[in-house]
Amino acid sequence: MTSFQREFRFLLALWKANLLAAMEYRGAFLLQVVGMILNNAIYFVFWILFFQRFQQVRGWKLDDMLLLFSVVATGFGLATFFFGNAVSLCEVITEGRLDYYLSLPRPVLMHVLASGSVASGMGDFTYGLLSFVVAGHFGIDAIGRFLLGSFLAIIVFLAVLVIAHSTAFWLGNANVLAAQVTNAMITFALYPITLFDGTAKFLLFTLLPAAFVGAVPAEFVRAFSWRVLGQMLGATLIFLVLALVIFHRGLRHYESGSAIQTQV
Amino acid sequence: MSAITVRNLHKTFQAKHKAAGLQGSLRALWKPEWQMVEAVRDLSFDMEDGELLGFIGPNGAGKSTTIKILTGILHPTGGDVSVLGYVPWQQRRDLAYQIGSVFGQRPQLWYHLPAIDTFYLFGKIYELDDKTIRQRIGFLTEAFEIQDLLETPVRKLSLGQRMRCEVAASLLHKPRLILLDEPSIGLDVVAKQRIRDTIKRMNEVENVGVLLTSHDAGDIEALCKRVIIVNHGQIIYQDKVSALKRSYLTSKQVDVRYAQPLPDNFQVAGAEILKAGQYGIKLRFDTRITPVEAVLTQLATAGELVDVTISDPSLEEVIRTIYQQADASPARRAANGEVARERV
Repeated sequence: MTSFQREFRFLLALWKANLLAAMEYRGAFLLQVVGMILNNAIYFVFWILFFQRFQQVRGWKLDDMLLLFSVVATGFGLATFFFGNAVSLCEVITEGRLDYYLSLPRPVLMHVLASGSVASGMGDFTYGLLSFVVAGHFGIDAIGRFLLGSFLAIIVFLAVLVIAHSTAFWLGNANVLAAQVTNAMITFALYPITLFDGTAKFLLFTLLPAAFVGAVPAEFVRAFSWRVLGQMLGATLIFLVLALVIFHRGLRHYESGSAIQTQV
Repeated sequence: MSAITVRNLHKTFQAKHKAAGLQGSLRALWKPEWQMVEAVRDLSFDMEDGELLGFIGPNGAGKSTTIKILTGILHPTGGDVSVLGYVPWQQRRDLAYQIGSVFGQRPQLWYHLPAIDTFYLFGKIYELDDKTIRQRIGFLTEAFEIQDLLETPVRKLSLGQRMRCEVAASLLHKPRLILLDEPSIGLDVVAKQRIRDTIKRMNEVENVGVLLTSHDAGDIEALCKRVIIVNHGQIIYQDKVSALKRSYLTSKQVDVRYAQPLPDNFQVAGAEILKAGQYGIKLRFDTRITPVEAVLTQLATAGELVDVTISDPSLEEVIRTIYQQADASPARRAANGEVARERV
């Protein structure tokens, strides 16, 4: 068995454990899923009202917004459902909870990220699928592009969260910074990229790469382009490598802790 | 063969030092003061394969830090460590297949799931095939008497029940060595004894080496053949538990009860009176200065004896004596004054 197969089997086992833990509280799980679908739908109503009045904003129409929401919600939803500890990694670091993962023979980052699940992520994912269906791109190639675009968006999302949360290795308490980065990624990813010019646009492709979890994959789903595909693959690779390097550099600074803990 | 070799191990943490109150916080914001805390200082020791070694010390002595370095969780500031031939912080994953660890304050069982689910997850973590993990769970379930607990969510188990499942989980992959950090913390006497018994049994049956840290001397007395005592990050004593008792059990305590009231100001030459009542007395004496016979003779002539109890000090008291001696030593006092503090 190859190393990739071994790690993937382990990943499946972790997801199964997460699913079993979620099923212990079925009511709460379903409530969070339905709540998130409604939350996203209500938010999108404002865009429907907007486009009824203005038809388009700098070239973006309602159909483009549906694709944008489908990619962002699917990417963020799957990222937080299958790698739920990505949104609380800095607490895992500062509370010394990495001890558990470091004492077991598995890749630490993958193990810690996949050991938690955010139930509302399933709501985001469901909403993303609904949004894609409503957008009406039913061709096999469009579905393939949607799957690839969402997959790369998941990786960029996770990489940015890991980078932001890993600052906890040096700063100690990085909760606020990490929360701001997470919110900024989601907020800016959900606006038409054409609204931004100059420095703002540059930042959305570099320091806060919201464009790579929203506008760029949405553009790719709309129509195939080698240029866009190259951009997505390049950005995914760069942010993935950056996340791995920063996290593992940070591990050398890890100071553990004596807080009483629970493996949820 | 050595399972663990530690040479000149050092671990220093940087801790922010801040005076109390708002003024202190504002000053720390402007000019932070950092204090270098030496959690482990020049630690050297060996542990043999299959040995039961106790590693004890008070809170903050450096026990957990040492265990975390030995498992590869922490990188040391200096020194050399070999655990089963691996350098822990460089070969963490290879080492993890060979060792198990239990941290009393850091559960590894998933809180919302029954222990059996975590056991199967551990099977995947350690890459055990389905048949092997089933056999191993069967064996450990019987050894730890946890058949009735396996299918109950961990959050509903008592602390003692959970700890038995925790130790069983750490042995699923048949490790050659387990590192137990305060496994009996918070347990009542019955639960403590059950944990001790099962650990001892696994050592006998599978020859698994056990490095046990605790600040409960009872754990060490019940389990370990050899003990290392640390304080302030340094080893202050290491020898067999029996030798520890022999070297430090130099005093005896005697409780006596009489049929008639004792005279006022009753004294026993060569002994210190700890407590005196109308019909009884409790005293302590150093056997190197005052022979047991001399004390008993004086007590017997004082009146008609109803009951006499002669006891050794507990291991707790022995260890407390060692801590106090180490703290009072000139080297220790000098070290306390040498805490490096620098302004960054």
